[in-house]
Amino acid sequence: MWSFRKPIPRRQEVILGLAGLFVFLAAWQATAMSGLIREQFLPAPWAVVEAFFGLFTERNFAADIVISVGRVWYAFFLAVIVALPLGLLMACYRSVGAFFEPFIDFVRYLPVPALVPLLIIWFGVGEASKIAVLWMGTFFQLVLLITDDTKRVPSEYVESGFTFGANQWQVMRDIVVPAALPNIVDNLRITLGWCWTYLIIAEIVAASSGIGHVIWSLRRFVKTPEVMAGIVAIGIIGLLTDQAFRYVHRRAFANQGR
Amino acid sequence: MAYLTIDRVAKTFGEGDGAVEAVTPVSLGIDRGAFVVFLGPSGCGKTTLMRIVGGLESPTSGAITLDGEPLAGPDRRRGMVFQSYAAFPWLTVEGNIRLALRYRSGLDRAERSHIVRTLIALVGLTGFEASYPNQISGGMRQRVAIARTLAADPDVLLMDEPFGALDALTREHLQTQLTRIHREAHKTTIFVTHDVDEALLLADRVIVFSSRPARIVEDLDVGAQLGPDRDQDVRDRADFIALRRHVQERLRAEYAAPERAHA
Repeated sequence: MWSFRKPIPRRQEVILGLAGLFVFLAAWQATAMSGLIREQFLPAPWAVVEAFFGLFTERNFAADIVISVGRVWYAFFLAVIVALPLGLLMACYRSVGAFFEPFIDFVRYLPVPALVPLLIIWFGVGEASKIAVLWMGTFFQLVLLITDDTKRVPSEYVESGFTFGANQWQVMRDIVVPAALPNIVDNLRITLGWCWTYLIIAEIVAASSGIGHVIWSLRRFVKTPEVMAGIVAIGIIGLLTDQAFRYVHRRAFANQGR
Repeated sequence: MAYLTIDRVAKTFGEGDGAVEAVTPVSLGIDRGAFVVFLGPSGCGKTTLMRIVGGLESPTSGAITLDGEPLAGPDRRRGMVFQSYAAFPWLTVEGNIRLALRYRSGLDRAERSHIVRTLIALVGLTGFEASYPNQISGGMRQRVAIARTLAADPDVLLMDEPFGALDALTREHLQTQLTRIHREAHKTTIFVTHDVDEALLLADRVIVFSSRPARIVEDLDVGAQLGPDRDQDVRDRADFIALRRHVQERLRAEYAAPERAHA
């Protein structure tokens, strides 16, 4: 069990994982039951579970989830379709990289929440400003990650392509893109996670729908179990999306095993 | 005029104080169909010279001609096998070879399939067509790279220490296969290595380079001295051993020599 940097049996791994989760829940339950902390601040786990289902039956939470997921995917899609070609060009043509890198690096360091007021002035409080917040938060990070992934394609691959008689476009399409794709998909998965952070910020500041809005409006009535349930919902959606991405990655790139 | 000529080619990396001279003006003529080995200490600039022949590096001065025509950037006339396994991990053995065929015009489906089958048989990978590079050994991967380079049908085959990362037995096996492939495909070949035995086993002609910057210190007609079509047993022959000792002494002298000042 204490062998240094050695794998442990799969069964043991699962049991330890569940035990960790159980200890956390038990400690939470015990604290809640002890009465040391008022229920208003720390409801029991079971109350959160009840609140979770209550959100669906009483507040039509499913519709808010659909709206939030839709916003995330829409903004993410818009970020990817611009970042992908731009990242590839920036990595393959040094002049394109030199032109965009300083500007993108600068924007990348601007904290997205600080941009929210500006984006609301520009786009109003409707959907456009929320999509803009998410896009700003992901696009600039994504471009640089895709550029890096593309730069990491071994130069032998590219040079082989040219000696086969391929032109630059063919080398890009047939060699650079497939070689970089596993890492790019991995970075898409990570960036999609960040998208959720910005979504909640956008929905708390100005929204009349979505998970962030629900959590924020329940706060006003100090409905702590429901607030916690909303947070748990985000965690579950994130976990499912992440696992889906990993599954696709495993299936699509199974033969490359790196 | 020789088939492939290297005319006063020199290469300096960087500028000013940080400049490193990799190749000092080298001139060399290579006959069509010859198997030439560039032999020299590690880091001497022999790979740089070969990359210039391949159009993957541009010379600071001098020129390369092939069949009388000046050469510039990389193209299909010069194929390259790299030291690291450049077989593409997202394609099968067959897919790797087909990709190199993709940019050749004037071939119909049947011809492409025929070439793929022939090349897979030539490098001894029949039965592994559908395997991915990570499912086969390092030696097999390097054979995929060789077959793929031949699929593009280059006029000149460039090999950069292709067996350097393999274990001794696999290396011997591939050396024997390469001798056979060269006999069958008869491509003009430049093979870079720092392994004296490998050079004397494979080459018609061995060019011995100095330590950096690369300069030719000896041009050996090994084919004439040891006879053509040698197999691994040649290593035990007295004339091979004598020639090896001679070459090793040349290399040792180079290794001991301090790096020459920049010209």
